[in-house]
Amino acid sequence: MQTMPARENVLPVGELIISNELTTPQTTVNMVAERFFSTTNLDAMAVVEGNEPIGLVTRTKLLFALFRRFGFELYGKHPIIVIADTTPLIVPENERLDVVIDKALERTPQDIYDEIIVTTPSGAYKGLLSVKQLVIQQSNALANSVLQKEVASARAQELEKINQVKSQFLANVTHELRSPVNAIIGLAELLRMSADKGSIEQIKERLSFMISSATNLRTVITNILDLSKIEAGRMEVAQQEVDAVSLVAELAETTRILIGKKPVAVEVRAPAMALMVTTDPIKLRQVLMNLVSNAAKFTEAGMIEITLSIIGSNLVIAISDTGIGIKEEDLHKLFTAFSQIEDAKTKTHEGTGLGLTISKNLVELIGGTISITSTYGKGTTFIVSLPLCQLPSPLPLSPGGRGSMGGGALSNELRGGLYSAE
Amino acid sequence: MQNKNKKKVLVIDDDEMHLYTTKELLQNDQIEVSTHKNWLGATNRVRDFQPDMVLLDVNMPGLSGDKLSEIIKPYCDACRTPIFFHSSNDEDSLRELVKIHGVRGYICKGNVVDLRNKVNRQLKLQA
Repeated sequence: MQTMPARENVLPVGELIISNELTTPQTTVNMVAERFFSTTNLDAMAVVEGNEPIGLVTRTKLLFALFRRFGFELYGKHPIIVIADTTPLIVPENERLDVVIDKALERTPQDIYDEIIVTTPSGAYKGLLSVKQLVIQQSNALANSVLQKEVASARAQELEKINQVKSQFLANVTHELRSPVNAIIGLAELLRMSADKGSIEQIKERLSFMISSATNLRTVITNILDLSKIEAGRMEVAQQEVDAVSLVAELAETTRILIGKKPVAVEVRAPAMALMVTTDPIKLRQVLMNLVSNAAKFTEAGMIEITLSIIGSNLVIAISDTGIGIKEEDLHKLFTAFSQIEDAKTKTHEGTGLGLTISKNLVELIGGTISITSTYGKGTTFIVSLPLCQLPSPLPLSPGGRGSMGGGALSNELRGGLYSAE
Repeated sequence: MQNKNKKKVLVIDDDEMHLYTTKELLQNDQIEVSTHKNWLGATNRVRDFQPDMVLLDVNMPGLSGDKLSEIIKPYCDACRTPIFFHSSNDEDSLRELVKIHGVRGYICKGNVVDLRNKVNRQLKLQA
């Protein structure tokens, strides 16, 4: 058979035995016939002497032999062995299914559907196989093997895809690393030219460009190292008490610097008092910095709003902007590494496209979630939510505030205490 | 400032730092350099500026430089302006892109000597 199922998937025929009916060679033909007449689902019997099978009687052939009355008279008193098939197919129980089927199909057409006798390795009678059953088994095995092949090829395709993503990733990383390095080289050359001319002003300007390129390069490197740490599961989480309110204030300060001269207002809505939380402050800051720098990058005019609140049992920090927004069909790609990535050559924006992937991983590391809502052309809101239950609740809130922890009451209270900066 | 004898190079790139360095480096060689950020309006820019050579970045938001080359190439061909890819990508991939899009050549970003040599040689050929 050309489409052989994998060897390990083929059953030994011993497990497919359907009956162990037998008779002795000396049993008379009419006795055997009586058994066939009275047992309707009996298709065949082995003729066994001692425990050794020496022949086979099938219902069809016996009835055919006895079909006419004289047949019954002729054979009736004879021992069954006289008209039994004395050269039946006999196979050991550990023979493979496909081998047995091959053997069965090699027989003459009139014997091809006869039952097959199975013996123990020592040759003792074990039972009968039905060729029909074997064929069904075999085709199931083939179907399984086709299925397995399909699964294997799907898996291969998946691996191929992962490989493509990996090499695309590598190409992107290479480009992102080289780009600032090349800028630095160009700037160094320009600095040398300015030095030759003795132009201090030009030197100053070019040095500041160089610092900004070098800083950019450092960010790319840090991102790549972070991502590989996260992927290798080697990112450690610290626990420290921080004031979320002052963290948010610091965030707003940075955002204003990043915005530079663009007409974008930065607003903070947060409780007027300290809100102490226990978390990994470096990671939380890194995530929030990433979000505000995205907001600053993609907002040309309008407002960036940073809101700190407690909703249910979560500390929620939302960063909303009135920037370019994200198309709905692109939202799902946002948190995958280099999702700017379908093709680095047409990447959607500057930057490595790693920031959000890293942010998502970091937030999850510190037990929180990150989500996004966006309207293309209108703006984007990122929401970072950290469960308060993991955060010991040290907040010395307003009088009685502590008692209402974890309920909507506190949330309202906080909202009441929100102030607006700038 | 406009000098009729000065050769003109148009640099198209989404990265301001690269626009700045390329422009400053080439201007030092007495070349008139115009920069164009991004792909939008690139065709008009080619028509208006009539450069003797175009340096085109590959990785750009929206429309990549290799695709953009197909759009501006008819205009460049009409006035015999060669296009060179100018990119931080692998040299192999640039060579490949040059073949695919039938532009004149490529220059690896960060190789200042190569940039000067190739641009000056090309502009001399144009003379």
